[in-house]
Amino acid sequence: MTAPVLAAFAVMLLFAAVAPRLGQRLTPAIATCVLTAGSVIVAGSTGFVLAVLALTWLGQAPLVAWLADWSPSELDANTPVPEFVAAGALILLSAAGLRLLIRAIRRGRALVAVRRAHRGSSAVIVVDSDCPDAFATPAPHGRIVVTSALLAALSPEEQRVVLAHERAHLRHWHAWLVVVADLAEASNPLLRPTVAVIRHAVERWADEDAARRIGDRHLVARTVARVALLRHDTADSPLAPAATGGQVPQRVRALLSPPPDRRLWLVAVIVGLLTCSFVATFAVERTGDALFDRVATVQDR
Amino acid sequence: MPRRSRGGLEREIHAVLAAGDGPMTAGQVRDALGGDLAYTTVLTVLSRLFDKGEIAREQAGRGYAYSAPYDAAALTARRMTLLLDDRDADRAAVLTRFVDGLGPGDEQLLRGLLDR
Repeated sequence: MTAPVLAAFAVMLLFAAVAPRLGQRLTPAIATCVLTAGSVIVAGSTGFVLAVLALTWLGQAPLVAWLADWSPSELDANTPVPEFVAAGALILLSAAGLRLLIRAIRRGRALVAVRRAHRGSSAVIVVDSDCPDAFATPAPHGRIVVTSALLAALSPEEQRVVLAHERAHLRHWHAWLVVVADLAEASNPLLRPTVAVIRHAVERWADEDAARRIGDRHLVARTVARVALLRHDTADSPLAPAATGGQVPQRVRALLSPPPDRRLWLVAVIVGLLTCSFVATFAVERTGDALFDRVATVQDR
Repeated sequence: MPRRSRGGLEREIHAVLAAGDGPMTAGQVRDALGGDLAYTTVLTVLSRLFDKGEIAREQAGRGYAYSAPYDAAALTARRMTLLLDDRDADRAAVLTRFVDGLGPGDEQLLRGLLDR
């Protein structure tokens, strides 16, 4: 069992290390989908492998062994997993599960609160506010919220850019992709850099979508830059400044350059990595299954 | 009569207050709703709406009389303003904002890019 477990962890570490770098070089739509799916697969694989490891130790507890019809002494004699590894896996698994649960409850509550706040309202809501700002609430039936200050500061063409960008978020269910990636990160904090890249890719995706629909990359670039500076210049901006920074200039620079290439070979690299993750996880499942069959007190055959 | 959801009852009570001529007591609101609700239920929802700042109230005898200063559209706008000002990281995480805040040095970078 040792080899597939090590392989599964190695693939997870490799994905966490290289996915952010590869994702930055993909087109935003592909990066978002591949990295989000990859984060979920890798997080799920890690959770499963930890659970199998933990079970080799937990299975020796009299109650668990009795429920599952295992012989505790046989399991102890046959398990290739040292006790401290299995106990460590149990601790990690519990911590990951708890973090995931808390994050899921908090995000779920926020989703319900936002949905409740705009029930029965129009598709675009203009809010009277001095702070230039715009956002979309999650699809389906997401609303686009724009402040009066932002509308007043922008030309009609620029207003169209903001709406096109937010509509792209709604059309492609971006908020949900980010929530899913975020939950994967909650269960496996090593995925944090990957999720940061996904968040950025989602904005880039909406920028590219708006640029294609409006047919003017330069206009979209200028609007993104202008809105960011407008927000920055508003003294009592309600949002804290970005922790990392550099995101808005990156978006503007990308829009001032030609549309990005697809680079499908990079996608193939990530898909290959995820296939390895599947194979390793499956091997852990098989060997784990064989172990628990061997120590069963009631033989099926 | 089908059971009302909590949000549904809040909206109905708000609509009753918005449609009324002036401030209404909890008893009057209950009668306007058809009277099949418990008085305490109506009172609870009214207090909750007041706590959220969505309705106003004034002293009337031993209790309060409630009124709705905003119509439905203004109420939505008000709730959206709260989302806008929200420092709650969870709410911010489910909204897709047009631009995030700027990091140090980003401002000059952007002005440079705009001038190009």
